[in-house]
Amino acid sequence: MAKHVPTANGTEMTGATALVKSLEAAGVDVMFGLPGGAILPAYDPIFDSTIRHILVRHEQGAGHAATGYAQVTGRAGVCIATSGPGATNLVTPLMDAAMDSVPLIAITGQVPSAAIGTDAFQEADIRGITMPFTKHSYLITDPDEIPRAFAEAFHIATTGRPGPVLVDVAKDALQKMTKFNWPTSINLAGYKPQTTPNAQAITDAAALIAQSSKPVFYVGGGVIKADASGELRKLVELLGAPVVTTLMARGAFPDSHPLHMGMPGMHRTVAAVTALQKADLLITLGARFDDRVTGKLSTFAVNAKVIHADIDPAEIGKNRHADVAVVGDVKETISALIPALKAALAKNQPDLSAWLRQMNSLKSTYPLGYDAPSDGSLSPQHVIERIGQISGTDTIFTAGVGQHQMWASQFISYEKPRTWLNSGGAGTMGYGVPAAMGAKVGAPDTTVWAIDGDGCFQMTNQELVTCALNNIPIKVAIINNESLGMVRQWQTLFYEGRYSNTSLDSKRVPNFPMLAESMGCVGLSCERPEDLDKTIEKAMSINDQPVVVDFRVHRDAMVWPMVAAGTSNDEIMIARATAPDWDSQEL
Amino acid sequence: MTTASRRQHTLEVLVENSPGVLARVAGLFSRRAFNIDSLNVGPTENPAISKMMIVVGVEGHSLEQVIAQLDKLISVISIKEILTGEVKAVQDTQPDYQN
Repeated sequence: MAKHVPTANGTEMTGATALVKSLEAAGVDVMFGLPGGAILPAYDPIFDSTIRHILVRHEQGAGHAATGYAQVTGRAGVCIATSGPGATNLVTPLMDAAMDSVPLIAITGQVPSAAIGTDAFQEADIRGITMPFTKHSYLITDPDEIPRAFAEAFHIATTGRPGPVLVDVAKDALQKMTKFNWPTSINLAGYKPQTTPNAQAITDAAALIAQSSKPVFYVGGGVIKADASGELRKLVELLGAPVVTTLMARGAFPDSHPLHMGMPGMHRTVAAVTALQKADLLITLGARFDDRVTGKLSTFAVNAKVIHADIDPAEIGKNRHADVAVVGDVKETISALIPALKAALAKNQPDLSAWLRQMNSLKSTYPLGYDAPSDGSLSPQHVIERIGQISGTDTIFTAGVGQHQMWASQFISYEKPRTWLNSGGAGTMGYGVPAAMGAKVGAPDTTVWAIDGDGCFQMTNQELVTCALNNIPIKVAIINNESLGMVRQWQTLFYEGRYSNTSLDSKRVPNFPMLAESMGCVGLSCERPEDLDKTIEKAMSINDQPVVVDFRVHRDAMVWPMVAAGTSNDEIMIARATAPDWDSQEL
Repeated sequence: MTTASRRQHTLEVLVENSPGVLARVAGLFSRRAFNIDSLNVGPTENPAISKMMIVVGVEGHSLEQVIAQLDKLISVISIKEILTGEVKAVQDTQPDYQN
């Protein structure tokens, strides 16, 4: 942090002004928030600051917008709220950011220090509430502590494994006078993330790779966080082994690359799942053996040795034993691995051709696909696929959580990092619209599409008002199947079609295009396949206003392939009750 | 307390002496389903640093995982295992990934 010594250094000012000067010194250019009593002193100097403050309609929107901004720019996102309910509305975004390792700074007002612990009006122990999913947190009652706390907060949020940091500031600390003193260096005795990998571990990893005959690159979101896509491609092409990218890593490696087998996990390609299951070596880069990837852990990739490269030492061995552990920044790790692997391959060049032949055979035998609905209605997969094709690979996509999210991860081709934003670990319905808002603020010249479900959209659509009033022209595709589709799919498969409380069938209540228009957006709708392309093109042509398109799609479409929760990856179903023909694959 | 499948380890944990540290450590053990058999907090010669003596009951996860997760807390400065029966012999058990 400590970018430069601000001119304000040594000046007398209120704690509130010190807070704003601290954000300026940390290089913040935008924050998302909503004022209230306890944080109000800080909003006075915000009025004069060069930092753009975007007034949201709900604090949850501020949190997810800051996350979207951070995911697109790689910089810390900042959200700000008042005490009590304002602060608790940030709880979900903080948990979301922790699960997906997003650098997020949440600033909350707190009741005056003398009132803390008295159940005062709008008092909530937000630091205590958020302790399980903040990387660190502060409660400031002394204005002199404000600059150092913020300098540390930005340092902690953006270095090592990124994550959310909460700074809770008592109202009297904002009101009292202090002498501003932005620290020139940060020295935290208990926080020294290791970024440079151990040289012996790199040598061991290279040797293990050169000995394997069925290696696979298991690539996670850490590669995007570390901006290591370029290095990854060099490493992959050096070895010529297949690659799988997890839900958080879509775009880390181009989908169009012939070595890309797709995504592993619960709703992933047969080739990607099989690559992991049948491999003799997992070269794991910035991934964490999440249960949605591994399925039943005891049956996951049973014949594979594991190289696990991660910035977080606690991920090593957490879910899966690592034969070679490489702790460090994954960009530095890959950069060190390339020359080490060249040297190892010079001694022993493994023949991967049979392995690649098997993988390519699976990839062509079991491509992702879908059937057009027999009644002539819109197919949700086709809608999402066409949006991707018409909008192009520079577009940033966000998603809510559910079927539409899985289809958006499957049927849009991702070629570049930081173009696919979703709530991977937390699975936060309602992430899509506010995250798109933050993404558009971070990348104003890029088209941003939120692929949302009708259930998710009804959780956070109020931020479209924020978008309309602040010149943030995002595009929203509601994949409207009038149901909580993914839950309904599970009911179809595992609850004998007893659709308990998953129907949003409502005789078009709300009327999404009218709702969009009332919020200052353009509202469009589409329910016939023949209108699909021209509707998407109409949405693409509007760039001075947010656009919401209500795609009324077939209700019974399901996400395939699927590995049922808690079962083995070996039991992947390509369609209902249909397993791939393993015997003919000779793996 | 101690069962056949369960091993006890004693950890000496130096932490920042600041409000909320005990809650962070206790909360970590709770949410990760680690077992605390006992926990004592006391001062050190440095008023900015406190010392926790934690007896951990390990089952179903490794001591390394407990230590690695504890070490992630920003307020935790160092962790050492006190070997049973040799109280004076202190072993640094922090995962050593340094060069």
